[in-house]
Amino acid sequence: MSKFVDRYWVYDIQGRKLHLWKIRRFDDNVPTTSGELFSDAKSNFLVYPPEAITNGLRIEHTSISNPFTSNDPESVAESSLSEDASPTESSYINLSRLLTLAVVDYVRAMLAEKGGNIEGKEYYMRQFYKKASDNESNKRKVLMCGTMSPYAIR
Amino acid sequence: MKVLELMERVGSTDTNLMIVWVKDAINILQSNYKDSLTATKQNIVQNQRDYDLPAGFVSIHSVSVLDTEDDDKYKSIRRISGDHFVTEDTSP
Repeated sequence: MSKFVDRYWVYDIQGRKLHLWKIRRFDDNVPTTSGELFSDAKSNFLVYPPEAITNGLRIEHTSISNPFTSNDPESVAESSLSEDASPTESSYINLSRLLTLAVVDYVRAMLAEKGGNIEGKEYYMRQFYKKASDNESNKRKVLMCGTMSPYAIR
Repeated sequence: MKVLELMERVGSTDTNLMIVWVKDAINILQSNYKDSLTATKQNIVQNQRDYDLPAGFVSIHSVSVLDTEDDDKYKSIRRISGDHFVTEDTSP
């Protein structure tokens, strides 16, 4: 029976919990324990979810799922990859080629830091973020073109 | 790329340390760039405000609630901030 959920439901995140609320409008008549419809609120306020909804809450998020696979993510489709729960040297890193190269830079940065080479660490971290940004901008290619007027000088 | 190739590129022989650092790097990538999104669903329980964030959660993309009156569509809901007038609801 949930309706207008985008208008009346709100959430908040506190620590490791998601708090779910419903907005009760000030002019909503709510039946009292004696069955009387009644509203004495002066403004909108929040109430706990007033109804149970099976699979009602959907959270879309990023997570560290399947960081390593037993087959090559560059040649096998995402849906066919199998997770390697106990990674070894022969496990594949579950990222695109460019992001894997970024990870190589991250590992170099950590090695530089471990060796006390802070400048080296900063250099490789810049390379890491540069490759990660390149990977992101590769998804946002925009082609712009305009028509040329008939008598334009070329 | 295999972990072995990564180790050869950086000149290290410590497999466990490499695996831990790769996980750290993936964590940073997922935190900043949303390389791969996952959706999880859970039941909304009457009179219950608190819900667990999914296991392995890094960053949030959207939160939706099922609209049973509109063809069972999940619709994004807004995030509220600040202090709330109601801090606990004993009779929703």
